[in-house]
Amino acid sequence: MSYQEKRTITMILTGIILLSSFVLYAVLRIQADIAVLGDLKFWAIAMLVFIGIGIGATILTQILFHIVFAVSVAVVEERDHAGCDEGKVETIIKREMVEDERDKTIELKSNSIGYAFSGFGFLAGLILLAVTGSAVYLLFSLFGAFSIGSILEGFVKLNLYRKGC
Amino acid sequence: MTQAELAEKAGVSRQTVVAIEAGKYAPTLELAFRIADAFGVPIGEVFLCDASEDGK
Repeated sequence: MSYQEKRTITMILTGIILLSSFVLYAVLRIQADIAVLGDLKFWAIAMLVFIGIGIGATILTQILFHIVFAVSVAVVEERDHAGCDEGKVETIIKREMVEDERDKTIELKSNSIGYAFSGFGFLAGLILLAVTGSAVYLLFSLFGAFSIGSILEGFVKLNLYRKGC
Repeated sequence: MTQAELAEKAGVSRQTVVAIEAGKYAPTLELAFRIADAFGVPIGEVFLCDASEDGK
């Protein structure tokens, strides 16, 4: 499995954990009567906080992933060649991390699917707003569509890496 | 020449070389030239265009 595939899996997992955390947070708040579904301000603040946490968590996860990846390369090198040459490890890491035209093509293709999903989410939100008359559904729909869209983007990327593009 | 060596010479990842070999990725003309250049042969000796695959 390539560096890019492993990185994509890490991002998918981060996205799933964040979305699940938000859903859990929302359900618990509603069940405990701390928040009402129609309180737009409360949900807008909660979503902003989760978006902030998401950005922070993604950056942190990528840093941690890179450290773990570098350590694993060094461990494999040490095991296979009995002696860890720092320069060689650095070369292997650089070689694995190369981002080329195929990665960019895959990125573009997966982005377009992610954006399309987000667009459908907006449309679904508008339909919900038109049917129920409550803007909170539009808010949830938008948040969900962007979150699921980004996770879907990861899965599409993985599929393109595996099946080709 | 190993896949890793070719990848390094062409400035791409080894996975891209593997994908091209397996027919899972069609390189751009620029990359095709770089790969041919790495082998020191004309591009036509490395890549063949099968027009029937495009339904032409």
